Amino acid sequence: MAALVGAVFLAALGFVARVNGWWGRLPFVDRTRVATDGGHAHEPGSGLAHKPSGITRWLTTVDHKDIGILYGMYGVIAFLWGGVSVMIMRFELFTAAETYISPEMYNALLTSHGITMLFLFGTPIIAAFSNYFVPLLIDADDMAFPRINAIAFWLLPPAALLIWAGFFTIPLDIAISPAQTSWTMYTPLSVEQSNPGVDLMLLGLHLTGVSATMGAINFIATIFTERGDDVTWANLDIFSWTILTQSGLILFAFPLLGSALIMLLLDRNFATTFFAVEGGGPILWQHLFWFFGHPEVYILVLPMMGLVSWILPKFAGRKLFGFKFVVYSTLAIGVLSFGVWAHHMFGSGMDPRIRASFMATSLAIAIPSAVKTFNWITTLWNGKVRLTAPMLFCIGFVANFVIGGITGVFLASVPVNLILHETYYVVGHFHYIVMGMIAFAGFGAIYYWFPIVTGRMYNRKLAKGHFWLSMIGVNITFFAMLLAGYFGMPRRYATYSDFNPELAPLTEITFLHQVMTAGAVIIAVGTILWLLNVVWSWKKGGKVTDPDPWNTKEYGLHGREFAWFEQQLAATDGGETESESAVATDGGADGESVATDGGSEQA
Amino acid sequence: MSIETDDGRGHGHDSEHHLPAVEDWPKGFGEASWWPFISALGGSGFYIGAALYVLGQGQSPIVSPVAGGAVFVLSTFVFLTGLYGWLYHAFIVDFWEGEAADFGFPLKLTMLLFLATEVATFGAGFIYYFFIRAGSWSDLPPIVADGEVLSTLVIANTLVLIASSVTIHYAHHALLNGDRTRFVRLLGATLGLGLVFLAGQVYEYYEFIVHLGFSLTDGAYGTAFYGLTGLHGLHVSLGAVLLSILFIRALYGHYSAEKHVSVSTVSMYWHFVDIVWVFLVVVLYVGAIV
Repeated sequence: MAALVGAVFLAALGFVARVNGWWGRLPFVDRTRVATDGGHAHEPGSGLAHKPSGITRWLTTVDHKDIGILYGMYGVIAFLWGGVSVMIMRFELFTAAETYISPEMYNALLTSHGITMLFLFGTPIIAAFSNYFVPLLIDADDMAFPRINAIAFWLLPPAALLIWAGFFTIPLDIAISPAQTSWTMYTPLSVEQSNPGVDLMLLGLHLTGVSATMGAINFIATIFTERGDDVTWANLDIFSWTILTQSGLILFAFPLLGSALIMLLLDRNFATTFFAVEGGGPILWQHLFWFFGHPEVYILVLPMMGLVSWILPKFAGRKLFGFKFVVYSTLAIGVLSFGVWAHHMFGSGMDPRIRASFMATSLAIAIPSAVKTFNWITTLWNGKVRLTAPMLFCIGFVANFVIGGITGVFLASVPVNLILHETYYVVGHFHYIVMGMIAFAGFGAIYYWFPIVTGRMYNRKLAKGHFWLSMIGVNITFFAMLLAGYFGMPRRYATYSDFNPELAPLTEITFLHQVMTAGAVIIAVGTILWLLNVVWSWKKGGKVTDPDPWNTKEYGLHGREFAWFEQQLAATDGGETESESAVATDGGADGESVATDGGSEQA
Repeated sequence: MSIETDDGRGHGHDSEHHLPAVEDWPKGFGEASWWPFISALGGSGFYIGAALYVLGQGQSPIVSPVAGGAVFVLSTFVFLTGLYGWLYHAFIVDFWEGEAADFGFPLKLTMLLFLATEVATFGAGFIYYFFIRAGSWSDLPPIVADGEVLSTLVIANTLVLIASSVTIHYAHHALLNGDRTRFVRLLGATLGLGLVFLAGQVYEYYEFIVHLGFSLTDGAYGTAFYGLTGLHGLHVSLGAVLLSILFIRALYGHYSAEKHVSVSTVSMYWHFVDIVWVFLVVVLYVGAIV
């Protein structure tokens, strides 16, 4: 087992090391910069001369685009480990009895999957997009604090080492094993596990919180103070609006989690009573954790909604319908998100009157969420829809949100919640959100901005294959989870052969688990296609020579980031005399069409 | 997070282009810099040190019990070197050549945002206290039962901290009015009062732990008391460091009516820490015995 995990890590690192070499090819043109924290102005047009080569460039960079790429690489590594850990679990669950991993290893993987996907993939991958593109979208020279931007990133790799430490030490056979607390780290379980791997994980989590908080402060300062002369609050793009709101949530959510983690560490190591029965009690941990935890959901999903609100109109040929209301709904969700946390605790024996009020606020979140959904649908209405890979992911995002969101409305209702709580229904619900929405929007944005970041085009056949496999896989896997939840299958179980057949019929449950595993394999195949596509296209994809690869000018939807890209192409054009640069922008291999992916209209 | 509170100064953006990074050491590249990486190394070293400390505890320690402390001390050195290089090369080395601060608004906004995060940081601790205060509130240490927790020392200390808020306010005003002597004196007074407060806290801890036998592990109230006053004490210590930087720079002749951003931001921080203390005394000391 340990060897398998180790091999996966080595493979991931080896892959990244190979990608590393291509970074040097990224288009780069300097801009004059004056920054507030010691980031320095330098003359425009000096080009790569200012950047050292090799690893030094990446260790010393304060360029928001470089840091965005670093965040992206980090997020992808985390995503791969998160995916591998869940595949190991899914194969174990293929049969009801214990087969090839121990229940302890199952718990460890379950914990690592959740923590990795939320803290090491979710937040950083959003930071990748926002670092690279928010300054371009608001016409800023860079972030308000380029050096703080760099330090915020560099705190993350040590954080990951601490969080994963328990897995690294398996081959050493010392008394550190991976934490088995689940990502919610509920007390007293998390206090009583004497394994120091838990302490290391808590320390690592605290470090990611410091990093996220520094990033959030930087984004708010950037959007407030670094906007270009013609970027006002009235015409600020939707993605920056969501990043602004998200940063506001981080400002209160992550420091509170940080304090709670320190309190947990003190309870574990210095016999304090923060979460002990004679002190605050286990319920205090739940309150503090979910006061962070529920806003965390919106910290992850709001920017992704912003990406979809930004990309979807480009391929619908229409402006985002009801822009103002999409902004208002973003702000409304941001405010409401701090008032719903106790819906995670309906089963904890709290006062029914408090339960009722949290049910009301939780249901109320459906309103701004529906405002967004209907605005996306209305944007498509009578639009000139072009089903490019980014557009497919946006539409898949909206479709999955309908299922993921409405199952959430059911869970917000106290009587339904009490029955479905701690079942696979909950797992299915939030995976529709985190995989069906957050990852989908991420994939869509990667395809949409691939030309800007790499200067090349992805292979669109692979990209569409990736979409359909992901869409089908997600709906098979997570719909089966919803059904298993209706059958009463509880969450977090490594085996299910000993269940009372009255409560959970074994035949049906086993069948549904096999369906889930099959669906997960489909998702994994799609993800491998995506990886191959990105890796291959980054190196060999057709060079993008058209500054408007998505033909957005035609619809009056040209974004500032592509206007910037046009300047980049104009600035570097002189040097590009390779024959490769004549290749069309749709992935090169596609002989059938000279148009870009965006150019082939299918509506 | 203190780093961005320092003085913003305009780098020349005209023909007299000045690039401090070129003189930077280790050598930066254009706008690139080693300092964030070095600071991050030191910063995460604190966490590695804490992790090693945990591994060095217990019956059969996994690493040497001194490893954690050693890494922690080393990291402090690396971290401070990183911050010093960063601040020195970015702001201080050519303070005199800089223009009046262009960055007053972003830096003050940033301090405000940082203080918002501090509300959440302190919030978790206060929520714990409210939980136990509104909960069973039993098994109280004698110090609470006797009312000894609210001593004259605490009241005097509170007055000292409030006085330091007043002095820093008037120090800033003196600077804005061009009265440098008064500015430096009042700034020194603020720093002195802050140090007196910290000494008072240390003395209180000594009295409680050694003479009254009231410590961190002394029930639910002990946890709240040392958790909250300890967190606040750390913040006052950071404030004292910031005030020292201001004071030393002021002695070297830095700051004027035009260039005073870091005085503003440190002042905001100091007032915040002061307000938290007043709230803390009201709920944690007075609130425990009424």
